[in-house]
Amino acid sequence: MRKLYIHPLPVRIWHWTNALGFVLLIATGLQIRYAGLIQVMSFKNAVEVHNWVGFALIANFFIWLLFYLFSDKIKVYHPELSPTTYFRASFKQMQFYGYGIFRGDPNPHSVSAYRKFNPLQSMMYQIVMMLLVPIQFFTGVLLWDVTRFSSMVEMFGGVRIVDTVHVLLFIFFSGFIIVHTYLGSLGHTPAAHFEAMVTGYEEVEDEAEAGKAPATSGD
Amino acid sequence: MKHSVMTGRPMRPRVPQALIAAGLLVLACLLPSTSSAAEASELSKESVACLKCHDKPGMEKALENGEKLSLHVSTQEYADSMHNETNCEDCHADLDAKTHGKVKTAIKSKRDFAHSMRETCRDCHKKKFTQYDDSVHAALVKDGSKKAPLCADCHNPHTQRSVKIAEPISATPCAACHEAIFKAYTTDVHGLARAAKGKDAPLCAGCHKAHEVKAASLGEGAKDSCLACHKDAVDQHKGWLPNTGLHFEAISCPACHAPAAHRRVNLRLYDGPAAAKKQISEKRGVPQFVASARAADANNLGLDERALLSLLKEFNQDGDNSKAVLRGRLEVRTGVEAHQLSDKSKAIKDCDTCHRAGAEAFQSVSLTIAGADGRPLRHGVQKEVLTSLQSMESVRGFYAIGSTRIKLLDTLLILVVLGSIGGPLAHMTTKWLFKRFREKQAAEQRAAELLAASQATVPGNRDDVPN
Repeated sequence: MRKLYIHPLPVRIWHWTNALGFVLLIATGLQIRYAGLIQVMSFKNAVEVHNWVGFALIANFFIWLLFYLFSDKIKVYHPELSPTTYFRASFKQMQFYGYGIFRGDPNPHSVSAYRKFNPLQSMMYQIVMMLLVPIQFFTGVLLWDVTRFSSMVEMFGGVRIVDTVHVLLFIFFSGFIIVHTYLGSLGHTPAAHFEAMVTGYEEVEDEAEAGKAPATSGD
Repeated sequence: MKHSVMTGRPMRPRVPQALIAAGLLVLACLLPSTSSAAEASELSKESVACLKCHDKPGMEKALENGEKLSLHVSTQEYADSMHNETNCEDCHADLDAKTHGKVKTAIKSKRDFAHSMRETCRDCHKKKFTQYDDSVHAALVKDGSKKAPLCADCHNPHTQRSVKIAEPISATPCAACHEAIFKAYTTDVHGLARAAKGKDAPLCAGCHKAHEVKAASLGEGAKDSCLACHKDAVDQHKGWLPNTGLHFEAISCPACHAPAAHRRVNLRLYDGPAAAKKQISEKRGVPQFVASARAADANNLGLDERALLSLLKEFNQDGDNSKAVLRGRLEVRTGVEAHQLSDKSKAIKDCDTCHRAGAEAFQSVSLTIAGADGRPLRHGVQKEVLTSLQSMESVRGFYAIGSTRIKLLDTLLILVVLGSIGGPLAHMTTKWLFKRFREKQAAEQRAAELLAASQATVPGNRDDVPN
């Protein structure tokens, strides 16, 4: 095993702030939406916290965006332009998670500083970061002050539609955060990826090791 | 120049009369004497002449419908009235001095007489009359209402005093028709303040206007009236109420400030975007709403999602689906409840009152348009419409977090969360089941490696050793 510096400090700051923020947003979102069923805090306090955390995360999003825009690390998000190569690699990755991982096969994706995402992660994070998160922030801001943004709310079809989009994405992120946590535990040890996201260093197998040793990750 | 029919002489110019009247009013304030003779001297000779006969209590005329029309005009009350500078014949110009009192003229009813006298009011009160013409009261009169007020129903022309004089609240003419509402008002925060502080607190006309009266549940009139006095209300609410603007737009003031009232969702049909604030009105002579609503709700259970959408489409027959839109508003159910306003310390501030499933405010839903007579036309809507995915399009402009949440999304959330937990659990379990297989694989591989290593060290098996 050798250590590779994969996660730069701004990314780690963004990641954990985002993680904490999303947990708070989901918790307060549940309190707001299910005020009659959940009574951990008052509706009003939940709305206040939800709004403040929302704005904090919008600012945090720009840490992520600016870092990648002004760093060569943006390569980690560069899409694979050949569909054949991309789908073949994606299929291999799916095969690994759905079958190979049980058999102890090695992960088909080897991590490096500029290739930290496997093909599935690469596609998912691009959709999440460039589409879903911005839409969630945008609808959140519209709902924060519906009157101020009334013409835009109107343009998107009304407050019920804007809210439904916000709730659909809330449902998606609630599922995402659970699955993301589980997938994070599928490193060579359950804590490996979590530790890497704190220290910045991923432990990767030497090429020689990778070829022969069956993966025992996540046991 | 207008001439009096009774005297044939030119009518007196009004400005000097006003000055004289004002002078007389000042004198009246300074001098304690209010004797009938002194009052009469302030009136014109012609008026005094009329009052000689008409200031007889009990003087009345039998009308065709059997009613008795009082012909009694108190000299003192007339002299105290705002019309004291108006000659009798200015209004009663149709009377002929030669025949008056000698030839009987037939009058059908008091209502008919009041109707016929309305135009004389317009001569002087053009602006007020125009405002009245635009009111729900005038619309009802046009529609043949026998109860809607005419000028004389609210203003006795012979005793009408300045509105600047604070009369006791019981003197307000609105109470005659709106008795239950007035009774509620007398014990609410405004009524009590009116009784205690006088004119500083609003009476009916303070909020509803005296002449351009509109149905309070239509348009924004009632809210604007509240904000006209409570100018800092928006800023005060901004201090604690998230999305203040939306709350002010979608909730009527009494919905929170009459805490004991029952609330309902009023889905109001608007023409065009919200900013236009143009509520759809039934066209006079072309009743569409009532017939369509009844046809769409054959069992009279209230409009369901589909019926509501089809009704909405009927109002968009030109194919522009964005034309007629529904805007929901939370309001109290009755006019009486709108006049049960409490002290602001008792107003509803707890968000959970409305923002939870099953909240009382969302148990009653109605669809409203402005009727041709200016009154609201309503039809019941099933409350499930507010929480149904099917009504996403029809009630897209109304949404209250928690209370009108779409139930299908709750199911989706549960499924996604269960799937997100269940999926990894199943994956984890499968991995655990395969643990022995992997260990066996690893052991075999290690054994194979060891074997390979040992074979490599056994002499005779080495590749580099020549045979």
